[in-house]
Amino acid sequence: MRRLALAALAVVALLAVAGGLLAPHDPLAQDPDLALHAPTWAHPFGTDYLGRDVFSRLLAGTGTTVAAAVESVGVGLLLGVVPGLASLWLGRGVEWVLLRAVDALMTLPFIVFAVAVTGILGNGLTQAMIAIGMLFAPLFFRVTRAAGLALTRAQYVEAAELFGASRSRILRTHVWGKVLPTVAVTAAQATGGALLAVSSLSFLGIGVQPPAPTWGGVLASDLGFLAQQPWAPVIPAALIALTVAALNTLADDRGTLRVAR
Amino acid sequence: MLRVEDLHLTVGGDLEAVRQVSLTVGRGESLGLVGESGSGKTLTCRAVLGVLPPGVAVSRGRIALGDTDLTALDRRGWDRVRGNRIAAVFQDPASYLNPSLTVGRQLAEQLRLKRGLPRGETRAAAVALLEAMGIRRAPAVFDQYPHELSGGMLQRTLIAIAVAGRPDLLVADEATTALDPAVQAEVLDLLRQLREERGLALLLVSHDLAVVAEVCDRVAVFYAGEIVEHGPTDEVIANPRHPYTEALLRVASLGDWRRRDLEVIPGRPPELGAFSTGCRFAERCAHFTERCGTPVPLSTVDGRTVRCHRAAELALVGA
Amino acid sequence: MNALLDIQDLTVEYDRHRVLDGVSLAVRAGEILGIIGETGSGKTTLARAVAGLAPVRGGRIAFDGAELTALRGRALRAWRRTGALQYIFQDPLRALDPQHTVAAAVGEGLAVAGGRRPGEIAEQVAAALTRVGLDPALASRRPGEISGGQRQRVLLARALAVGPRLLLCDEPVSALDASNRNHVLRLLAGLRNTAGVSVVVITHDLSSLAGIADRVAVLYGGRLVEHGPIQDVLTAPRHPYTALLAASSPSVRREHPVPAARLRGTGDGMTHPGGCVYAVRCPFATAECATAPELSSVDGDRAVACHHAGTWRARLGAGAGDLAEVPA
Repeated sequence: MRRLALAALAVVALLAVAGGLLAPHDPLAQDPDLALHAPTWAHPFGTDYLGRDVFSRLLAGTGTTVAAAVESVGVGLLLGVVPGLASLWLGRGVEWVLLRAVDALMTLPFIVFAVAVTGILGNGLTQAMIAIGMLFAPLFFRVTRAAGLALTRAQYVEAAELFGASRSRILRTHVWGKVLPTVAVTAAQATGGALLAVSSLSFLGIGVQPPAPTWGGVLASDLGFLAQQPWAPVIPAALIALTVAALNTLADDRGTLRVAR
Repeated sequence: MLRVEDLHLTVGGDLEAVRQVSLTVGRGESLGLVGESGSGKTLTCRAVLGVLPPGVAVSRGRIALGDTDLTALDRRGWDRVRGNRIAAVFQDPASYLNPSLTVGRQLAEQLRLKRGLPRGETRAAAVALLEAMGIRRAPAVFDQYPHELSGGMLQRTLIAIAVAGRPDLLVADEATTALDPAVQAEVLDLLRQLREERGLALLLVSHDLAVVAEVCDRVAVFYAGEIVEHGPTDEVIANPRHPYTEALLRVASLGDWRRRDLEVIPGRPPELGAFSTGCRFAERCAHFTERCGTPVPLSTVDGRTVRCHRAAELALVGA
Repeated sequence: MNALLDIQDLTVEYDRHRVLDGVSLAVRAGEILGIIGETGSGKTTLARAVAGLAPVRGGRIAFDGAELTALRGRALRAWRRTGALQYIFQDPLRALDPQHTVAAAVGEGLAVAGGRRPGEIAEQVAAALTRVGLDPALASRRPGEISGGQRQRVLLARALAVGPRLLLCDEPVSALDASNRNHVLRLLAGLRNTAGVSVVVITHDLSSLAGIADRVAVLYGGRLVEHGPIQDVLTAPRHPYTALLAASSPSVRREHPVPAARLRGTGDGMTHPGGCVYAVRCPFATAECATAPELSSVDGDRAVACHHAGTWRARLGAGAGDLAEVPA
């Protein structure tokens, strides 16, 4: 399973770097005569409502999609895990402020927040991903805190304190290894969510601008033509699902945990 | 009354965890099973209770309570035996009580089920039983929840529940091990008293020879799945016939306060599946000879059963 | 005699609940002190307070003349890194990180203290394991892969590795069978004898404690009720609670000079806030016990906190039945 997952992710990574070059057609080239065409040798995944080659769009869109997802999850990790650990080890004052901040963040509606952030930072993929990442932060914060909370009272942590170990050393040697698996699993799951979020924002014209291809964008456009091509959404959806499954498999794998340690 | 004959227990079908165990407990008698963890004492007592862990099975032998063959009982048969003729108490009393019901209600329920008391009478009977277990202010304790009671009180309550059905035999598996010493002594006194006043037979399992000695008339010493010595407690202690018994006595609490070099039994017991065909204690034994590599039959020396080639010739030191 | 550890009037409270009340006790250099008492008597709290793991509300703790209760933050960590005082937890399975190897666990104190190359640490880890009678080959195992007795010795090795002057052991043997129990206690006695390490042992097992300890302190209800040379205290207890503990200790010989039953109160005795903590269970309690007895010296090296320390034994002769009827 682990090998399979690694192989799948390697393919995705390869496509992310070289997908555009491998695409047999121009992902933006429209051909009205071929609109909503079933798969053929020339168009293995068929064409969309503008007659664009879906296969090429998926290949070319991989880079943007993966970059966007990684970016948002990265922002979420940074803004969630670090404060999560800080809330456990920097005293009650810090804990209180962080918990309230997270509560406030969680009440914000997703779309409105993204619109507001891009309104402030300017429209662009990076800005939109920062917005999504900020909304992931509470998830990572909660998960990190939950995993770490029991550890603050663990006897082996007390024992390390009795040796005079600093907080950062305790975090490094006793806490990180136990929090990491949970964070890794959450990150894998969040990546899946991010893949989808990219598309829903594209819908509103936030982040990725419409003609540029992304997996989520392809899925969204396919969903609009279910009556004509009921099978079409399966292809991008399967791609997203496989990538997420590969990430989850790797996150759950014990070998990964050992490497992570 | 309880008669275990040539009991063999296997783990996973082929590993023999308990071998050739025979013992009896008569009415009002108390037998202690003593040995290290993994020696087979707890498995033997679980076989008697019909609650062997998954994967462990009786492969040979017979366990009889009076005329009833316990090894042949089905579930309904066990329901008639457990609580009515055999009852048990274990190390962690809190885990055997429902935390959301008062202890009195749980005891009353048992009285209703096992003695058929009408609802109106259970409370008075339960309070009386709690008092008989040495619980002070029993009416108040009746209405308390398990978490409100100390370990000693919980164990007394559990003993009350165990004897509610007026069983003939009480099995106590490490029942006092987790208690504070003063409370342990009180509970041991209670067990002794139940035996004397109610004629209750007692099968006491403990890793602590001193605890067994305090309560039991007879003792069976387990080592690596076998009984190595079995006889009257006083005699076994004063004049052990098996080198392992002697070693246990050297490390046990003597109830005195001498300054001394504490003794240990060198080595570790053999792992399950790595038992030798000869004497299983041989590699740790100070009296080892060539003969010890050959199978050791049980012999009778000084009115007790011993599993040692040299039982008759060794001069061992008692306490 | 000079005290290595000097505890004065120590009071510990958890959420306003007083767990330890005005305990004064000294541990001398190179001695083994046993602490006995029931669950909730405060014996674990006493050890934890000395280690700096309990909220001290009053009193002082001095180690070799240096005040410990005032240490905070950086200064506290610096003191702890000296390794002079080591606390050994009761349950090795919880006190050892399940993900760390035995080598990492035993070497942790050395790594934290710093100034050693990894090779040196590995050598010292192997030496510490050997000292407690463990095969250094166990170093690569994790706590889940070794036996309970071995885990207990790993905890001991981990404390020894940093070269302590005082070991605080919280019930190091209560989960072990008699042979392993004696093995661990023997190791402690050996440390005292060869390296002059002072040891505080909390245990239930009075008989084996008496085998190795020099003195014993008896705690009840958060108060120190008796202390002194262990053979004297256990042979001729001055406090009724000590006598009960000694009489309750199981013995293969079933010899009990005084049956424990005769030392048990009815539990219906009086409770007086500020009175003797033991009065409610004490068969010898009188009106006098409504005030708390001071710990006072007797026989030179001993001390007891009981109004009737000198007289209860005489009333024992009256028989158990009479004892229960002594008016409160």
